[in-house]
Amino acid sequence: MSLAQALFMGLLQGATELFPVSSLGHAVLIPSLLHWSFKQSDPSFVPFLVLLHLGTAGALFFVYRTQWVEIIKSFFTAALRGRIEKPSERLAMLLLVGTIPAGILGVFLEHQLKSLFASPFAAAIFLIVNGLLMLGFETLRRRAEARVAPTARSRVEQEESFAAAEQISFKAAALVGACQALALLPGISRSGVTIGGGLLSGLRHQEAARFSFLLATPIIAAAGVLEIPQLLSSSVPLAEYVAAAVLAGLAAYLSARFLLRYFRSGRLDPYGWYCAAAGVISLALLTFRP
Amino acid sequence: MKGNNLAVALVVLAVVFLLLAGLYYEGVLQIFVSDPHAKHHTTHAILFGVLAIASLIGANFARAKRAA
Repeated sequence: MSLAQALFMGLLQGATELFPVSSLGHAVLIPSLLHWSFKQSDPSFVPFLVLLHLGTAGALFFVYRTQWVEIIKSFFTAALRGRIEKPSERLAMLLLVGTIPAGILGVFLEHQLKSLFASPFAAAIFLIVNGLLMLGFETLRRRAEARVAPTARSRVEQEESFAAAEQISFKAAALVGACQALALLPGISRSGVTIGGGLLSGLRHQEAARFSFLLATPIIAAAGVLEIPQLLSSSVPLAEYVAAAVLAGLAAYLSARFLLRYFRSGRLDPYGWYCAAAGVISLALLTFRP
Repeated sequence: MKGNNLAVALVVLAVVFLLLAGLYYEGVLQIFVSDPHAKHHTTHAILFGVLAIASLIGANFARAKRAA
């Protein structure tokens, strides 16, 4: 992989990890469409992905640095006390409950799912499915809005009728967490399905995005940290990879800032249409390319 | 009483998870692993370690609820 390709992949991963458009789907599709010769399944590619994920996780920690300090303190306080007394303690326990199903499904199914579906064709098909899911989530949400806030005069007012992340039920947190495992399928977006799950659980768009990003951070960071020994033991062009990771972190930081602002009144629809269109175009290009 | 039974059940579950974590780390258990020849399955061991901690937290919540 050349330096330009590494930097491009870093930028792509950082930006698409948090946008509900599937980073894995794009990472499988774009190199294939550009006829790049490196293979995602190659063992030497793993250290590269590890660093990109660490860059993204670092950016997410930075965005929510004050909240994470509060969440970690609240986690230990509530765990030792055996009782939840503050919203931040509830959020900490919700994140634990949401992370467990994703961790179980990720650890036991990752290898099987990735080896089954790691082809550009599968990624294109799942990208279309992801688009339809995003549009489906918003259709259901519009019905809920008509029921919950029929007299709202603006989108912001409409959103205020829904809940904050701390108010979600533990069952819903577990379901949203389990949805993360769908992102093991290339083309299905982790942030997309978790934001969608949050919307179905009655969260505001912005709160669903916050919960999704908070939920993703430990999983992404753990996946990266666990692979560090492999990274240190392999002979990889570390400087190039670190540069790509920094770029991924920067892109993830800007994406998170943009999305949190966007979801004050924005919806998942544009990303749904983008994924459906990108999936169809990719499928056509893969089918008819010379 | 119900809270107490639940707390005991969760402690037992935590012990089972710890045992599984040890077995995966030592490479004795090979169920659902990507590389059956690996000496240690660290990821699986960490997962079961986290599950053990979560079970102990659940037990503490069940115990405290009963005390209240």
